[in-house]
Amino acid sequence: MTTNGWLQIAVFFGLVLAAAKPMGLYMARVYEGKRTWLDPVLTPIERLLYRLSGIDSNVEMRWTQYCSAMLLFSLATLLLTYGVERLQHVVALWNPQHFPAVEPYLAWNTAVSFTTNTNWQAYVPEQTMSYFTQMFGLATHNFWSAAVGMALAIAFIRGIARREMKTLGNFWVDLTRGTLWILLPLCVVYALALVSQGVVQNFRPYDTATLLEKQSITSTGADGKQVATAVATQTIAQGPVASQEAIKMLGTNGGGFFNANSAHPFENPTPLSNLMQMFSIFLIPGGLCVTLGQMVGSRKHGWAVFAAMSVLWFAGVLTCYWAESQPNPLFHGVDQHVGALASGGNMEGKEVRFGIANSALFATITTDASCGAVNSMHDSFMPLGGMVTLANIHLGEIVFGGVGAGMYGMLVFVILTVFIAGLMVGRTPEYLGKKVNAYDVQMAMLYFLIFPVFILGFSAIAVLSPGLGTSSLSNHGPHGLSQILYAYTSAAGNNGSAFAGLNANTHWYNSTLAITMLAGRFLMIVPMLAIAGSLAAKKIAPASLGTFPVDNSLFTALLTGIVVIVGALTFFPALSLGPILEHLLLRAGTSFS
Amino acid sequence: MIDLIFVTSTLAFFVIASAYIAGCERLRGGKPNA
Repeated sequence: MTTNGWLQIAVFFGLVLAAAKPMGLYMARVYEGKRTWLDPVLTPIERLLYRLSGIDSNVEMRWTQYCSAMLLFSLATLLLTYGVERLQHVVALWNPQHFPAVEPYLAWNTAVSFTTNTNWQAYVPEQTMSYFTQMFGLATHNFWSAAVGMALAIAFIRGIARREMKTLGNFWVDLTRGTLWILLPLCVVYALALVSQGVVQNFRPYDTATLLEKQSITSTGADGKQVATAVATQTIAQGPVASQEAIKMLGTNGGGFFNANSAHPFENPTPLSNLMQMFSIFLIPGGLCVTLGQMVGSRKHGWAVFAAMSVLWFAGVLTCYWAESQPNPLFHGVDQHVGALASGGNMEGKEVRFGIANSALFATITTDASCGAVNSMHDSFMPLGGMVTLANIHLGEIVFGGVGAGMYGMLVFVILTVFIAGLMVGRTPEYLGKKVNAYDVQMAMLYFLIFPVFILGFSAIAVLSPGLGTSSLSNHGPHGLSQILYAYTSAAGNNGSAFAGLNANTHWYNSTLAITMLAGRFLMIVPMLAIAGSLAAKKIAPASLGTFPVDNSLFTALLTGIVVIVGALTFFPALSLGPILEHLLLRAGTSFS
Repeated sequence: MIDLIFVTSTLAFFVIASAYIAGCERLRGGKPNA
């Protein structure tokens, strides 16, 4: 670890901290329907959209109606994307490489993936998707799924803020306002900033460059024999990258235009673009903490939640940066210390231009925030560094989390925290003056149980099925377990990053990962909104001496502890058989190929 | 044919999710969309 590395991490966090308040207050104004400086331009567009779609923006929805509208919208957009992928060969528009239709299993997996804000990619984008599919089928979902997540978080916040009401707002209005007032304006500016750094934005066919020196590439033929091929040219992929990259990061979607994602020089060319990408992942989730405080009338509570998220983020980046700075014990006779000409530590799978600090920081942020973009390959991290990325998702994607999803996930943890605090002092638990009853805790438990059931259930089946699960592995032993565990964890957490090393483009993985993504998104949203509906209907009791305060450091510490304990109790056995065992065996000189 | 299976599976999932909403609401003692 170097001072330079820590300084860069400090600059990143300083930016997130500085942006949280203006961003949060702006979002609160947008969702409360208050005046903003964009109204003169956007209000006529908003009204036109409502008129065209027959929406009465004054109608309020109960939680069941809000949830049904969200499901209906997601179903329609999922099927639309599936159709676009299956018919991309028919749509000649923006398909200069003449890509064929996407294979059905992969198309379904991808449609589910982008609808659920996961952006798991079991394909090489620049060899599979036409520009039309990338823009109309996938980038649109980056906006929609992010706006849906934000709308759901706002619905939960309204549930806390409202008293004796049956409704949570109007889903269509929240979806529209989040897209028009927050995501679109930010993305226009952001995409231009990325172009200024060298991110490409065009509709050209791919370029072909002639190599100065022919290369010989060895691959395995259909008969299992090694085949050497002479290569004299290189294809350089192009496309409308900047416009997709902006929402990919800002909406915590993470699906790359290129297979190498943010490690590709056309997606993430400079140290400044790298900083912008990391900052934009936390921008909206960090701001939502302030939005929470503003809308529930307790700004200190919003900052207490922000503090809990920050503590968990720092613990992750500290561990990951430390682990990646360690020399690999199996490299004998290699100088792995930091020097003027060497970064030291584990540089496998990392871009030299980003180095260890920015790779560890990016990996921590992207797995904290349910983003899934990567600028280094997590499979090549040291076992404990890789474990941080896994454990971050295991916590439930609530360390700032996905846009909206992180906030509502953390608020379910807040419900659990005040419930446990109430049990500790023997009083009826209250959250901001609202009594938390058995139903709220039942729904919270349902929320928490769905997540591990799908991760551990499918991982167990995959591990025990040589023909289905383990045949896709590139490594055996504990690292192979980590690859499978990571895939299902990433899917259930709607993260989308891959540990790599696992060939997930098989019928088994495409199907089961899609089911896991659907469950990890929608089956968790339902109980979450049920809690919101329940809270909205409650009276607010005046605070008394026995009320557990949710705006101080004690609350932050308790919330952090509950998050860690729930995550550890659920996933520690699996982690101990994967990355922890691999770490111990690596120290003893054993590796697994 | 396989397209039909995926479309039907998707519809089935969302029907299950709708029933799940109704179940959660009934557990609270309310009626769905009442």
